[in-house]
Amino acid sequence: MEAVVVDVGSKLLKAGFAVPDQAPSMIIPTQMKRMLEDGSLTETSLFEEATVDPVVRGFIRDWDAMEDLLHHVLYTGLGWEMGNEGQILFTDPLSTPKAVREQLVQLMFETFNISGFYASEQAVLSLYAVGRISGCSVDIGHGKIDIAPVIEGAVQHIASRRFEIGGVDLTKLLAQELGKSNPLVKIDIYDVEKLKEQYACCAEDDVAYEKTKQSRQEEQHTLPDGQVITIGRERYTIGEALFQPSILGLESHGIVEQLVRSISTVSSENHRQLLENTVLCGGTASMPGFEDRFQKEASLCSSAVRPSLVKPPEYMPENLTMYSAWVGGAILAKVVFPQNQHITKADYDETGPSVVHRKCF
Amino acid sequence: MYGGDEVSAIVIDLGSHTCKAGYAGEDAPKAVFPSVVGSIDQMDVDDPDNPEKNSGSVPDLKNVGNTFDSDKSKGKHKLYVGSQALGYRRDHMKVVSPIKDGVVVDWDIVESIWDHALRECLLIDPKEHPMLLAEPSSNTQQQREKMAELMFEKYEVPALFLGKNAVLTSFASGRATSLVVDGGGGSTTIAPVHDGYVVQKAVVSSPIGGEFLTDCLMKSLESKGLTIKSRYSFKRKEIQPGIFQTVDLDFPNTTESYKLYSQRVIVSDIKECVCRAPDTPYDETAYSNIPMTPYELPDGQTIEIGADRFKIPDVLFNPSLVQAIPGMESFAETASSVRGLPQMVIESINKCDVDIRRELFSSILLAGGTTSMQQLKERLEKDLLEESPQAARVKVLASGNATERRFSVWIGGSILASLGSFQQMWFSKSEYEENGASYIQRKCP
Repeated sequence: MEAVVVDVGSKLLKAGFAVPDQAPSMIIPTQMKRMLEDGSLTETSLFEEATVDPVVRGFIRDWDAMEDLLHHVLYTGLGWEMGNEGQILFTDPLSTPKAVREQLVQLMFETFNISGFYASEQAVLSLYAVGRISGCSVDIGHGKIDIAPVIEGAVQHIASRRFEIGGVDLTKLLAQELGKSNPLVKIDIYDVEKLKEQYACCAEDDVAYEKTKQSRQEEQHTLPDGQVITIGRERYTIGEALFQPSILGLESHGIVEQLVRSISTVSSENHRQLLENTVLCGGTASMPGFEDRFQKEASLCSSAVRPSLVKPPEYMPENLTMYSAWVGGAILAKVVFPQNQHITKADYDETGPSVVHRKCF
Repeated sequence: MYGGDEVSAIVIDLGSHTCKAGYAGEDAPKAVFPSVVGSIDQMDVDDPDNPEKNSGSVPDLKNVGNTFDSDKSKGKHKLYVGSQALGYRRDHMKVVSPIKDGVVVDWDIVESIWDHALRECLLIDPKEHPMLLAEPSSNTQQQREKMAELMFEKYEVPALFLGKNAVLTSFASGRATSLVVDGGGGSTTIAPVHDGYVVQKAVVSSPIGGEFLTDCLMKSLESKGLTIKSRYSFKRKEIQPGIFQTVDLDFPNTTESYKLYSQRVIVSDIKECVCRAPDTPYDETAYSNIPMTPYELPDGQTIEIGADRFKIPDVLFNPSLVQAIPGMESFAETASSVRGLPQMVIESINKCDVDIRRELFSSILLAGGTTSMQQLKERLEKDLLEESPQAARVKVLASGNATERRFSVWIGGSILASLGSFQQMWFSKSEYEENGASYIQRKCP
């Protein structure tokens, strides 16, 4: 049986058997709804927060919910049988605390009784997906943005950066903007999320963005409950927020500037390697116009520190940016498990959860 | 006695230039950031709860109990810690360092730095991890007690240990006796270690460190008419494909200290890239025809550096060279009383007992960012061979990897804290509560 690769994100959980150069077989939302014992949905008037988010900003916070989710994914979704569990590979975001990793290992071996475990960092896996072992991965996800330079498979923690902004903040921004331009319409946050995915795009450069503010170009959109709203320049505001975080009210630099600074922190002999192998991944990075805008901003940097994006290989599926960490995990799983470099049940029984720090890095 | 379980210890090394923090047992710190903070004076003291993302610890009103003028209220400061927060230019943000002349003067800033390292970079709860802190080789009792107090009272750590920088470097190389030459950002300290203990009477230090050299280089470049534009002060526009124009941006509310800080960041990168220690003492005439090395600044301007490449590092060996650098005359006074690196090494060894001198000569360790300069090891070895007594066998050891040299104090701490035999040496919380902070002198010699 093939090993299973699971990439738990703040919004989507990607899981499937380790078959590289294919999309993961299960891409489901991580968010769950709480239901009562007898199977009926809770009244929304009784519980304000009937939805549960096991993963917040990239890190697993609610372990019970996580357990339920994994149970569903592994047994129902992927068809594992109780008593015949296989091997599993997890992906970690940047700066995962040691305690979180240990807890995950413990959960997998004790509750799920798996036979083998491996964990690897998302930044490294995204690079494997495009066929590189060194480079800089810019992961723009739903809950966080990670910029991590990787040299020969080792993340340079000294230079890597993590930002707690992501797709979820862009959704809130869109909701705010739509509220301003359509004051009479009440829009649910889930519908805003869908609108964002449908309409958001990036202006060509900041001059073009200024122009959109003046334009009157608008589109009509019919919401599921029948209300009609107009969307105009808000589409560009969302994309611009990544390059000018002041739109979100944050005091920090745009994505490209942060990438350049992060690379400058690494010793200069590796700069060339990192800059030429920059990978964009994550759902939010698949916004139309984002890559072009990124290239444009990158060309404005001085030539010593000019990042250039890597083209994914042709045999990889379309939309690689959405799940490149998963694909990288599938590639790694094909190497690690057959060569017995993973943590087996025997290792875990002997040493305990801290074995993860020694075997997986 | 702290009988901890499998939980890893945390090692923090707060230097005058960078702070390094990470888990014990790993081979490099996870969190490395400048140990200066940006501070904005809050003129308005009426809102105590200001929920902001980047604020460090907000100290109580400094003049509680006094009646204060509404114009000159010296109340709260908003602190910005870490390379991300410091990298962003803010109006009225001053750059403040908690350490002056190797001694901590502002404990609130130290607290906010520790907060940033533990809670924002490593994402841990200090209550669950024993801490190993690195301290300067000649630290006062008062500073140590204050550190212990802060750690136990505010962070409620289960156990603490204070290790001297020189001892930790010694462990990193696997030796119990050695002479440690620690070239850091703020100062250069030479400390002999014998059987794991620092020989206090022989510790020699000089204020010439990496930052001093950066300043020398900056003044030297300025005197040649080159202006270093900080990253925030310009913007590049593409007027036509392939042709770029740099536009200067003006931010009138930027403080002098921030301007200086951002220029220093660029100059220190120049220093790390092009500077090399010369093989022989620097001579103006000999180096006047040296080929120039190009370096591209962030704004696209390319500068050429020639003789400065060798002149600046030679200041370590010959501090009186400082007078030759225009703009540094104010330092000529202090520099004249300071000796060069080889002389300091000899001085330190001579202050030790005669029996251990031989061993010290043959195990001289280099540590710290400044010592990762190219050719420094060879030059030091050569100079020491000339100055040392005939019978001594001089050997300068330095790890080949520049990263290891930069973090050797931290690495030593990581090794120490993960040793099985060390676990009984921790200064535990119960011992602190029983005996008070002064007990630290006994537990961490």
